[in-house]
Amino acid sequence: MISCIVNNKTVETGVNPGISVLEFVREELNLTGTKEGCKEGECGACTVLVGELHENGTVKYKACASCLLPLGEIDGRHIVTVEGLDSSLLRPVQKAVFNNNASQCGFCTPGIVLSLTGFLLTSESFGFNDALDALDGNICRCTGYASIRKAAEELSIIFKDKKGSVEKENRVEQLIDWEVLPEYFRSIGGRLENMIYSPSNISMFNENKVLIAGGTDLLVQKPEGLLAEDLVFASKLDSIELKQIKEANEYLHIGGAVTVEQLRKSEIIHKYFPSLENDLLLVSSTVMRNCATVAGNIVNASPIGDITIILLALNTRLILRKDHSRREVMLDKFYKGYKLMDIGGGEIIEKIVIPLPDETSLFNFEKVSNRKYLDIASCNSAVSIKTDNKTVQEITVSVGGVAPVPLLQNEVGKFLKGKNISTENLIEAGKILTSKISPIDDIRGTAEYKKLLTRQLLYSHFVKLFPDKIKYEEVAG
Amino acid sequence: MKNSDMLMHIKGKSVFIDDIRDIANIHHGVIFTSPVPKGIIKKLDVKKAEQADGVAAVFTYKDVPGENQIGHIIQDQPLLAEDSVNFVGDPIALVVAETRRQADNALKLIEIEIEELEPVSDPREAYGKGELLVPPRLMCFGETDEVWDKCETIVEGTAESGAQEHFYLETQGALSLPIEDGKVKVFASSQAPGGFQHTIAEVLGVPMHLVEIDIKRLGGAFGGKESCATWAALSAMAAKILDVPVKVVLNRKEDIQNSPKRHPYITDYKLGLDSEGKILAYEVMLYQNSGAYADISLPVLERSFLHAVSSYKIPNAKIRTAACRTNIVPNGAFRGFGVPQSVFAIESAIFKAAEVLGLHPSELQKKNLIHEADPFPYGMAAENCNAEKCWNSLDSKYNIENRIEYVKEYNEKNVLTKKGIAVQPVCFGVSFTQTALNQAGALVHIYTDGSLSVSTGAVEMGQGVNLKIAQIAAEELSVDLKRIKVETTNTTRVANASPTAASTGADLNGMAAKMACSELLKRLKKVAAEIFSVKREKIEIRDETVYAGGRETDITWEKLVNTAYWEKTDLSCHAFYATPLLKFDRDKEWGRPFAYHAYGTSLIEVTLDCIKGTYKIDSVDLVHDVGNSINEELDEGQIEGAVVQALGWSTIENMVFDEKGNMLTSTNSYKVPDIKFLPEKFNVHFLENAPNPYAVSNSKAVGEPPLIHGCGAYFAILNALTAVRKDKEMPSLPLTPEKAFMYIYEKE
Ligand SMILES: Cc1cc2nc3c(=O)[nH]c(=O)nc-3n(C[C@H](O)[C@H](O)[C@H](O)COP(=O)(O)OP(=O)(O)OC[C@H]3O[C@@H](n4cnc5c(N)ncnc54)[C@H](O)[C@@H]3O)c2cc1C
Ligand code: FES
Ligand code: FES
Repeated sequence: MISCIVNNKTVETGVNPGISVLEFVREELNLTGTKEGCKEGECGACTVLVGELHENGTVKYKACASCLLPLGEIDGRHIVTVEGLDSSLLRPVQKAVFNNNASQCGFCTPGIVLSLTGFLLTSESFGFNDALDALDGNICRCTGYASIRKAAEELSIIFKDKKGSVEKENRVEQLIDWEVLPEYFRSIGGRLENMIYSPSNISMFNENKVLIAGGTDLLVQKPEGLLAEDLVFASKLDSIELKQIKEANEYLHIGGAVTVEQLRKSEIIHKYFPSLENDLLLVSSTVMRNCATVAGNIVNASPIGDITIILLALNTRLILRKDHSRREVMLDKFYKGYKLMDIGGGEIIEKIVIPLPDETSLFNFEKVSNRKYLDIASCNSAVSIKTDNKTVQEITVSVGGVAPVPLLQNEVGKFLKGKNISTENLIEAGKILTSKISPIDDIRGTAEYKKLLTRQLLYSHFVKLFPDKIKYEEVAG
Repeated sequence: MKNSDMLMHIKGKSVFIDDIRDIANIHHGVIFTSPVPKGIIKKLDVKKAEQADGVAAVFTYKDVPGENQIGHIIQDQPLLAEDSVNFVGDPIALVVAETRRQADNALKLIEIEIEELEPVSDPREAYGKGELLVPPRLMCFGETDEVWDKCETIVEGTAESGAQEHFYLETQGALSLPIEDGKVKVFASSQAPGGFQHTIAEVLGVPMHLVEIDIKRLGGAFGGKESCATWAALSAMAAKILDVPVKVVLNRKEDIQNSPKRHPYITDYKLGLDSEGKILAYEVMLYQNSGAYADISLPVLERSFLHAVSSYKIPNAKIRTAACRTNIVPNGAFRGFGVPQSVFAIESAIFKAAEVLGLHPSELQKKNLIHEADPFPYGMAAENCNAEKCWNSLDSKYNIENRIEYVKEYNEKNVLTKKGIAVQPVCFGVSFTQTALNQAGALVHIYTDGSLSVSTGAVEMGQGVNLKIAQIAAEELSVDLKRIKVETTNTTRVANASPTAASTGADLNGMAAKMACSELLKRLKKVAAEIFSVKREKIEIRDETVYAGGRETDITWEKLVNTAYWEKTDLSCHAFYATPLLKFDRDKEWGRPFAYHAYGTSLIEVTLDCIKGTYKIDSVDLVHDVGNSINEELDEGQIEGAVVQALGWSTIENMVFDEKGNMLTSTNSYKVPDIKFLPEKFNVHFLENAPNPYAVSNSKAVGEPPLIHGCGAYFAILNALTAVRKDKEMPSLPLTPEKAFMYIYEKE
């Protein structure tokens, strides 16, 4: 049995928890404002808001693509579809869309309205860039976006202004006062608290069950297959650690159910890896990142997984847990072959552990895809370097898209270690790199392209990190 | 003025096909399609599927009650395959079940054996094998042979452009209801109610009056819902046979795989210039990759044919086209309808000539713009020609030369990035090239309370045609816009409607509505004239008030309508409009195929990352000719949407087929522009003081013409690439980051 609140209505259902929330709201509840545009997370027409109760009794919302959100995931949560904005009066978001003609055929519009509402719910500053980021998963084929961008800008200006006055601690309360959200949102926290909701225990997971985290991979790969499986939802596991990012003993600990957006917004991450906040914008889209997990990216085992490539360069290790026993694996030893991993049935990634960088450490991530945002990479690469700004003391380079598994380039590291940061050495490292990789032709590019591009990504790391040491004219020449 | 439809969109209340829920017992149809590009069906076994859970029926071609045919220009496309299949996605059987999931499950139980045959995917190869839809066409203008001797500069080359997927957000679909007396009512996501009605009636083997098509709105179309009636016909057939409502709505994967695309073209061109840089001669051969069936390929190719010289005055031209039958998905209409491919060919030739002469292409473009009274190769002279006006207007706002100079200087100073800049002129002929299609009907009722109902053949797909028609009607009658309701597009109210296409939706239907309103106004004035005992000419209606002899009276609109009713006046009127003057002789390739041309000029600037081969479109600044806009907000939206679609076509929208014709691209690899792709600067200006005498309210069509601006993105990127190196052939379009990268780094 799944209990949740959909808009202002408490719903209990015995429907299979493996179906998507999109199917549930449209087919079971006849809420047709939420549209199916692709069912693969690519368009955002199905965007809904998901509210989760926090310890202090407040409800935190995020925008999600309901087509890849398994129903079981919303047990004990609040789902808001466009109907739930209760438009007896026009909300500021809706007004902004209307005022700027940001809707033509209207099919994408409910998704746009919810993503913009998501922006108002989550953006610290109501900055225009945050508004654009919030829309990075919403495709509109009619407007060409100019009008949508204007609507986003208008909202940003209005709310920055309002924020200037007084702002309540609780964003939801504040947005109700500002009429962004309807009154009934005040009651949601209390109602969720009273909902019978039973978390699962890690020991309930075993080899006969399927662990589902964000579902952004599983619901694309085998949506129908899930219906016959016994599902365990990572977000419902009762261990708080799973959902946290912590710093302890020179290490960063990322829980096995931490989402990509949580990582992107984490203050600890900002402190140690400031560039990641922007880099992670290159990973899927807001509505995906809000659900997709770091561990899911690792187990997805795509040779081109962005987060995996980032983590590889950071010398990450995984803590795997089965029932009460735990073991450790270095991430680069985790992959055994195409989609083959050192993980047993019933084992879950409990933690992802990264050594903290020191002042001599630099990090850079590069990704090239056909479309810059919301696209899978043709090639990606990350590098972490310890340096005195003259020589390379330690270096780890990872590259994706050039082998059956995400790869560390140890030979390149070996070559560069202890060498001067210079154009010649970089060129030599590029040669070693190209000799070590064997990409294949596929829809993301020809083998030849990927081979050359990987070398260029290595150059790009150095040009970015050491602009005054590397003469690109000479590299290119 | 804003489109009030938006008020429903923002609340999620707008109903699309898949949202119709208030009908009981809707069944779901899913189509079993060919897994191979070409083959002979040896065995088809649907028995297991028929017996699966919830399945009501599995239909094959044997079950088609009427003609198993949906080709409407050439009758070459079966609704369901008989003994052969000709593309991956060719429909073979329809499974109908109580739920979509049951239908999907049953689909997997269908067994088929196909003997594969050697397919063709390359149009040139098809041409070589004589696989043509019709014999090639040829248009000669001026001298076409000796003129080459007089040319100072001659360039030759090939320009190749790829397929484009519409990616309308609402996929193809229809819901059909059986109603008494053997009639079927079809709610379809279609731009062509008349055409669909005709095809479906033939498929069902019934007269057209037993098929009613009703269309409320489309979730985007862009030409993609103009021609192929497969899905609507299958749903109608199943509903009729099973006597239950049947919905056939494609999912995105099916839609991408099976629905028509913008045609890929290969074009061979040759361009000759005199010593001044004036174009003397142009020769082009356009090989269209039509796909497996004719669909609407021939009209598309005809429009390419007629736009071969784009915005330029070319005194001597030889234009040839061939519609090549291959084994990829049958391609069809897509906003621009063959024009972008032609524009791409001539602009490639100009770019190449400029390279040879060491000039920026814009110098040649400007020198050769078409002017008033210059003839197009099909004989029609440019009239009210705004090509140069648009150029000059843009120049006065953005100083084209300075911008080009700035880019040059930037490139001299920078190694890691290069900029590129291109000017893109637009000249787009408006009218269906099939002259007879330029007709429209409208039916207007005035009810006794003074409210109005307007029906036309135009389909609302987000372009706001309903609002434009309402505005035209309101203005004609001088009543408040709120009094007017534009109805669904329905074949029982307006018969034999042409598709809402060729950018003519508002031109044709708006004019028909205006004529109907004008006739009603006449009748009402007659009533008023009797009240005041004056001549009808003395009566005027202004802002819902009757004026007699110039003096305001106490007769309001409502009162007048009511009086007219009691005077037994007919308050309904149907009117018919056909665009005058059009005439085109296909034997001589000569005449006036277009009512007028729409013009524009744009300036596109990009920045290329030389390390990674990626690029960013920095700005698009444009001036576009919309005549006297009926609704500036709608027109601006149309321009922006069209431009961005073409930016996508030119750059990242990469639809890939293997040599056999298998589509390699899928939902997660076909990338259309997203909000961050949008250039940071995007300035749209209307050309001022440019009334158009040839369309309703002096306006101009705006659906397709502005698409051409976006083609300039290709040339802007190429301009940046040539700042890195110059020894390479021009890449095919779309100029993806991969191609840009290989342009820089591939050894040669
Ligand atoms: C539209 C779209 C865009 C995408 N873009 C990108 C992109 O830009 N870059 C990129 O790298 N990826 C991308 N992906 C892939 C995918 O979203 C990511 O790999 C994501 O991180 C998967 O996480 P998830 O939590 O949704 O995984 P799920 O689908 O929930 O699970 C994936 C697998 O991981 C297993 N799993 C999950 N958590 C654990 C755990 N704690 N321990 C053990 N096993 C676990 C599951 O059992 C399952 O086998 C994209 C996917 C989509 C649909
Ligand atoms: S339907 Fe497209 S993202 Fe969900
Ligand atoms: S308005 Fe049609 S897709 Fe956005």
